Amino acid sequence: MDVMALERRFGGRRALVGVELEVRAGEIVGLVGPNGSGKTTLLRVLAGMLRPTAGTVRVAGFEPVAEREEVMRVARFAFAPPALLENLSAREHLEHLAALGGGKVERGEVARVLALVGLAERADERVRAFSFGMRQRLALALALVPRPRLLVLDEPTEGLDPLAVLELRGILARLRAEHGLAILLSSHLLIEIDQLVDRMLVLSEGRMLFTGRPAELTAASERVRWRVSDAERAIELAAARGLAGTRVGADELEFAAECAPLAEVAEWLARGGVELHEYRRTRATLEEALRARLGAERSA
Amino acid sequence: MSVRLESLRLVRSRRPLVAAGALLLFLVLMLVGFYTYAQSRTGGAAEFRYTFENRSYFNGLTFALYAFYFGFVLLLPIFAATEGGAQLAGDTGAGTLALFLTRPVSKARLFFTRFLVAAGYTTLVTGLFLAVALALGLVAVGWGDLRLYPGVLQMTDRPQSLAQGEALMRFALVWPAASLALLAPLAFAFWISSLAKSAVNAVSTAAALYLVLYLVAEVHFFAELRPWLFTSHAAYWRELLQETPDLEALLRHASASLGFTCLFLALAFRRFRRREEGA
Repeated sequence: MDVMALERRFGGRRALVGVELEVRAGEIVGLVGPNGSGKTTLLRVLAGMLRPTAGTVRVAGFEPVAEREEVMRVARFAFAPPALLENLSAREHLEHLAALGGGKVERGEVARVLALVGLAERADERVRAFSFGMRQRLALALALVPRPRLLVLDEPTEGLDPLAVLELRGILARLRAEHGLAILLSSHLLIEIDQLVDRMLVLSEGRMLFTGRPAELTAASERVRWRVSDAERAIELAAARGLAGTRVGADELEFAAECAPLAEVAEWLARGGVELHEYRRTRATLEEALRARLGAERSA
Repeated sequence: MSVRLESLRLVRSRRPLVAAGALLLFLVLMLVGFYTYAQSRTGGAAEFRYTFENRSYFNGLTFALYAFYFGFVLLLPIFAATEGGAQLAGDTGAGTLALFLTRPVSKARLFFTRFLVAAGYTTLVTGLFLAVALALGLVAVGWGDLRLYPGVLQMTDRPQSLAQGEALMRFALVWPAASLALLAPLAFAFWISSLAKSAVNAVSTAAALYLVLYLVAEVHFFAELRPWLFTSHAAYWRELLQETPDLEALLRHASASLGFTCLFLALAFRRFRRREEGA
């Protein structure tokens, strides 16, 4: 999947501006951003449901609006919230929808996928009686039959209990490892993104705020903290070495990540009459790092 | 898009049951009206089998014609509008259109499969309605020759008569002719459905516009507009029940009705093909 300089306007409002995205086989990419950031618009553009105002979008080499059928032969999209045919059972969903477009799906394959998402026991019940979590599972099952080369999941963990989230994580990891599937998933649950994706794209008000590995986002927030016997004196000693520290507590100082190594610091401080009780590196969680970026973006 | 899937969805929805119940209720009310009208008008002086037209006028075939005619102009188009309106707009409103659009199936196939199933359903309801009207007429009154007099149906300006066997054969032809005429309101509702985002809006708009256009076509002030309204051409099937059908008029109105159907379908498909989902 290749997205270049994508722009989408709704009247005068720019919902997506200059979005670039690449998803390769065997890669899991996360799409993150607050409500209204343009995630769903981007997914709908990728599915050919919305036309780009400018820029290029290619899915498996096809243009999604003009060649939607070709795109849907290799890619499968599951939008949130999962919309299903209320009067059909889970099994009927899989049998009928998977067969659309000429594909014939084996009964065994349907049973296997239903078991995979934990719906085997309720396969013949009509969907109208399903909980939100069960609908999510069925939407995932629908996205897996017949097996695509690219899977696009919109908020796949929403409504799932922690165990189901864990199972989903396992399923996606297995699909990637065993079948080389490319997966693009949007999620609000940053912990999921952090643990599952290779790369992530963060959108804010339609613009790209960050793209790269989650670790790269948190790396920028890395700091070094010293706990010392005399904070005032320690600041003076650090300043003499060209290090700018800030006090974050009665006996604690914070420095940039590029601060001098532990042995060196301990030595200067000891020579200056200050005891170093603790030297540790801190890193913001993905959520904290993202919040900081969003805050900086907004204030800018 | 498979016909099997769409048919399954239709059967599992409540629409066929509601349509069957409403049409049966309508037939029963018509029968009660036939039996009680003369009684109430003449204060019991006439036999209960007398109609407001003529005692010899009333038999099972006449009842079926009256019931079918009034059902055709007022009920069946509403069911057609409901069916048409429920299609695209229903799936748009429920979000289920995305389920189909994310499958390798063309928009043309999605659209025309739906129309095919809706048209098949409308044809089935029309046939069933006519068959039940005839059966009810036979059981409650008994068949006989079909006699037409100048009057409410405005089918003739002189008394006419069709022998029972011939009349039944003509009724058999009325079924496909009336079904074809109903494709115009169905296609009209599809067009409205392609513009709306919820089934309720689509159905109510299509039904309301049909009624307005039907009334406009009936009102003499707007006689000049009639050729341009699809509602003016719909009842051409009545020609089949004349002693000597005017085939030229029948074909003219049938062609006009089919023309409107194609026009509405073209407009609906154009809109459906070009529109964006989720904009």
